[in-house]
Amino acid sequence: MAVPHGAKRWPALTHPQALGLMLLPYLLGLAGFIFVPAGLMLGLAFTQYDGLSLPHWIGLQNFTLLFADLRFWAALKNSIFFTVLAVPLRSLGALALALFLNQPRRGAGFYRAAIYLPTVIPDIAYALIWLWVFNPLYGPLNVLLINLGLPAPAWFVDPSTAKPALIVMSLFQIGEGFVILLAGLQTISREVLESAIVDGATRRQLVWHVILPLLRPWLVLLTIRDVILSLQNTFTPAWVMTGGGPYYATLFLIQLAYEEAFDGFRFGQGAAILLIILGVAAGLVVSLRLLTQRWSNQSDE
Amino acid sequence: MLKHSTPLLIKLLLIQILLVGCTSPPSTEQPLTATSSPTPEPAGNVSFMIFGDPAELQAYQNLVKAFEAKYPDQKIDLIHIPDQADYRQRLAADFAAGTPADVVLINYRRFSAFADKGALEPLGPYLEKSTLIQADDFYPEALAAFQWGRHGLMCIPQNVSSLVVYYNKNLFQATGVTYPQAEWTWDDFLSAAQALTQDQDGDGRFDQHGLGVEPTLQRVAPFIWQNGGDVVRIERSVWTRELALDEPPALEAIQWFIDLQVKHHVVPNAVEAEAENYESRFLNGRVAMYLNSRRGVPTYRTITKFDWDVVPLPHKRWRHSSVLHADGYCLPSLSPRKAAAWKFIEYANSVEGQTLVALSGRTVPSLKAVAVSPAFLDPAAKPLNSRVFLDTIPNLRRLPRLVHWSEIEDIAGDELERAFYGQANLAEVIKAAGLRTEEYFP
Repeated sequence: MAVPHGAKRWPALTHPQALGLMLLPYLLGLAGFIFVPAGLMLGLAFTQYDGLSLPHWIGLQNFTLLFADLRFWAALKNSIFFTVLAVPLRSLGALALALFLNQPRRGAGFYRAAIYLPTVIPDIAYALIWLWVFNPLYGPLNVLLINLGLPAPAWFVDPSTAKPALIVMSLFQIGEGFVILLAGLQTISREVLESAIVDGATRRQLVWHVILPLLRPWLVLLTIRDVILSLQNTFTPAWVMTGGGPYYATLFLIQLAYEEAFDGFRFGQGAAILLIILGVAAGLVVSLRLLTQRWSNQSDE
Repeated sequence: MLKHSTPLLIKLLLIQILLVGCTSPPSTEQPLTATSSPTPEPAGNVSFMIFGDPAELQAYQNLVKAFEAKYPDQKIDLIHIPDQADYRQRLAADFAAGTPADVVLINYRRFSAFADKGALEPLGPYLEKSTLIQADDFYPEALAAFQWGRHGLMCIPQNVSSLVVYYNKNLFQATGVTYPQAEWTWDDFLSAAQALTQDQDGDGRFDQHGLGVEPTLQRVAPFIWQNGGDVVRIERSVWTRELALDEPPALEAIQWFIDLQVKHHVVPNAVEAEAENYESRFLNGRVAMYLNSRRGVPTYRTITKFDWDVVPLPHKRWRHSSVLHADGYCLPSLSPRKAAAWKFIEYANSVEGQTLVALSGRTVPSLKAVAVSPAFLDPAAKPLNSRVFLDTIPNLRRLPRLVHWSEIEDIAGDELERAFYGQANLAEVIKAAGLRTEEYFP
């Protein structure tokens, strides 16, 4: 099946050209689904646009309107609260589990699968399961608490327990971070660990002075990614379980953006909120970088 | 290679997205093509989008089937969105994308948001030319709800429903409370609810409640009207509208409504409502009375455990106001198949079409002929007392049809809910509702 003209029609590609060609579909998708919409969003944030007539420029009015809305401030606080609390807990949880299940032990495969499982459950189904778990009267959690003689919180009815409940349920979806850290642990060479042990390092010293510094790039990557995701992924659970209530206690920026755009036909204001989410994410990521840089300087000393 | 090709592609994509995203507003000048279409319409099925429970969906499936049987060359694609809030957002997204369904059901409290932007085709001229349906055939209350200023009639109403009290006959019997009568008062209503609220196993928690009612502006509105108050007033100094909930008659009615929960505990509290919502409690025989429009009937007809019926809202000093519930068949101006879409709207609102949907129990038909026919009043089909809905029609009042009414209702509801569950006092939430809704009034 030789094609005599083949060689002429398909000149040999250099290595970078071949890479470029293979990247092309991805770059097209990136442009079409990320960069262009993001650019449009940036523009829309300064316009009034109802989706039906043409957008028109209103400068910063979207932002001044937002700043006058108590829902915006509630959502901003909620988003930051959730991210600042959930991300460290999730990262620590993933790290602890990865350290624990890194060594081959009985049933490790089973536990790894069990930890990953909640991550592959579709978000809506996951939210509905937890809605039942947190049911204040009939849910298994409160039934258990009452039988143990403990106080049974009203969970999604009480503004002070609604957000913590959402954080708790997010702590079980750490499968991805767990797998990444597990992979990270595999890259640490045996010799390094063995020589540390030969030098008389205790288990704690081993983790603190050898494993953690070597794992640092993985942890930083994971945490940054989780910060960004936490600002976006609060949408489904809050939407399905609380609708943002009670009295905006679980209203997050991403849901407010959605409501402004699709409930209120204010796509400009929706875009403005997205821009603010971008700002919050950037702020958190930068502070995280500063924090971890200090950590690396300290550990270098 | 990449360096040269990507900017061009981005440009192309940008142009395409701009074209799709910013479809120019449809012109209202375009000639009507109801009866004589000079240009043939594109082929393809007419899409028809609805919301509702599975039992309601069945009614519309029957309608579509009958239409297709009658006009074999026409096909309808039924798009079903179960939840009404999701439906609203789907509508907005579809309109914004420039691809709304050809026929959409919209509530009279919501169509103005679309009509205001010229997104709906005025249907008055279509109705005038129709040989199948005439304006005089409809209850004027239903048609009036879909009038939009100088554009006239925007949608064809399918129903003229209202808020009534559904009650569980078995629970009334078991408690020895006489069935509610048409002319009952707020006090009768409260004492029935109190008698029906019971802690049967003595664990200190009510297992059965007298009443279920959602703390929304739409639910509380008829009580405000009955007490001589109003929901919205015109601020005469600046000629803008605003919420009128802070006036004494309105305040008194809302206080009475809130006391049903906070003071008398005849309505499940916030924790109980979160554990199981009111409608589900009614369906399971744990709430004796439930306030709803006609919409619940197809689902309630599936109840086998107990017998139920409807009764009008209680009255205050012989004021019988109730609140109109009506959905209309609307035709988006972007639809490329207006003639075919109208043909379906026309059929759905003919005696034949409305009869089919009325048989399911879903609607209080807007066509007088169907409303007084056995399709609606059949004594064998529950509720026995369907005539209540027809007797209520002269007492119906409408909520305002403002472009941003949805937001006003949502915010007022969020505030009312706090007071209803005892998390804030009434004066505080009424003040907050007034201030927070200001920007949404025209």
